[in-house]
Amino acid sequence: MAAAGGLRRAGWRLWRGRAVVRCQQYPPLRALQASAALRGNSDEHKKEPWASSSQQHFDSPPAGHQPEEKPQGPHPSYTGPGGQESEDYESEEQLQHRILTAALEFVPEHGWTAEAIAEGAKTLGLSVAAAGLFHSDGSELILHFVSECNTKLSELLKKEQKLVQLGEAEKKPIDEFLKDAVEARLRMLIPYIEKWPQALSVLLLPRNIPSSLNLLTSMIDDIWHYAGDQSTDFNWYTRRAVLTGIYNTTELVMLQDSSPGFEDTWRFLANRVADAMTMSNTATQVQSTGEAVVQGLMGAAVTIKNLAGLNQRR
Amino acid sequence: MAMAAVPAVRSLLPRRPLGRGPGPRAGPGAALRPCSTRAGSRPLLERIIRVDHAGEFGANRIYAGQMAVLGRSSVAPLIQHMWNQEKEHLKKFNELMVAHRVRPTVLLPFWNVAGFVLGAGSALLGKKGAMACTVAVEESISEHYNNQIRTLIEEDPEKYKELLQVIKQFRDEEQEHHDIGLEHNAEATPAYSVLKTAIQLGCKAAIFLSERI
Repeated sequence: MAAAGGLRRAGWRLWRGRAVVRCQQYPPLRALQASAALRGNSDEHKKEPWASSSQQHFDSPPAGHQPEEKPQGPHPSYTGPGGQESEDYESEEQLQHRILTAALEFVPEHGWTAEAIAEGAKTLGLSVAAAGLFHSDGSELILHFVSECNTKLSELLKKEQKLVQLGEAEKKPIDEFLKDAVEARLRMLIPYIEKWPQALSVLLLPRNIPSSLNLLTSMIDDIWHYAGDQSTDFNWYTRRAVLTGIYNTTELVMLQDSSPGFEDTWRFLANRVADAMTMSNTATQVQSTGEAVVQGLMGAAVTIKNLAGLNQRR
Repeated sequence: MAMAAVPAVRSLLPRRPLGRGPGPRAGPGAALRPCSTRAGSRPLLERIIRVDHAGEFGANRIYAGQMAVLGRSSVAPLIQHMWNQEKEHLKKFNELMVAHRVRPTVLLPFWNVAGFVLGAGSALLGKKGAMACTVAVEESISEHYNNQIRTLIEEDPEKYKELLQVIKQFRDEEQEHHDIGLEHNAEATPAYSVLKTAIQLGCKAAIFLSERI
């Protein structure tokens, strides 16, 4: 607890040292006048604090709530410069989404960092202070990227399913379907593969684990859903666990694969999927063998009872 | 307010709805999707389907256990009839589970064994014991379904119309089983009230756990 308190204070000092004010609260869907402010301030990114919280626009700034070394910036009016009002209305979440999407272009060069976000903000015509909206370790950028990849995968799988339903495509056998889905998803990493190890380590930070785990499980569930899984028993968990294992190991192999076109990775993937199929077939065989053995024993028991005369109804 | 910035760390990644969905920073696309009410109603729907599926699965196993012991007695046709209805219920919830992409409870293997043991154990106490177990379990389940019906009606009767219909029908059939049990001398079982209380406590615990895990 004391360590956490010490970390907090150290962290706060670092934040206060930055020339950018962090958002105190994050009402995700509140109208953000700061977008107007950012556009206005694009030339003065370091000179004044970016008054981020929309609350501060509607109330007069409470004295002493700002860190001392930062002067109070001008308050953008409701209409903002150029009379922008409802036409340019954009929620904070949408703005962040746009910035992060634009930032992805700069990731191969700058990594998953605030620099990439700042560059992305610049291409949108916003102040580089926008990078202050986000964590310095790039957590949001990475989570945004993963989420976007998952959405793309879902759409791809849905399209394929529609083609099969319309009869324009053959229904793939399960192992091929899984292999193709995992391969499609991993291919989305290729442009960022140099910096992906950094992203993985950030995703494993304790505070990111709930979100990254959630994204992973929903992606795996999506793949199984489109593969036609309709299990309602413990198989539901077994299948997802197996596929998660396949995905994670293949991802790791991909990170250190230098073969042309990542063919080693795809071969590894095919082998793992084949292993999983074999395992499930074996499990089925074991189960039916077990059942047959039980039947045999029951039959033997009944025979013995008959021979011993114990089975007669008196 | 200075220290309040620290929770901003956590608030930067907004709370995820319990249900599935795109990631925390899915952006406007997620909010504009037709299931935009997902964030609120999805956890409720998931819980209801998950726990009801677990309940019907358990009931199936209880009757299986009872049949294993009393399969050649005079009450066998009656238990078989009730078991068949439970099988129908389970089939319906299997369909609902697949249609709504709800995950089953992790404890299914456990309910598998526990249900069978309960059924067989109560049947070993005789026909009256089996009926007492039926009464206890069906009373718990009826009460549970009634609670769910109340919750769904409070939430949005129009949206959940189909589900409400299903649950109401099942509740009526469980009530019927309860009454059958009473008709067949359930209350004459030795230590009836103790047995009933114990079983109902177990059912409450099972419901609590299956809703969550």
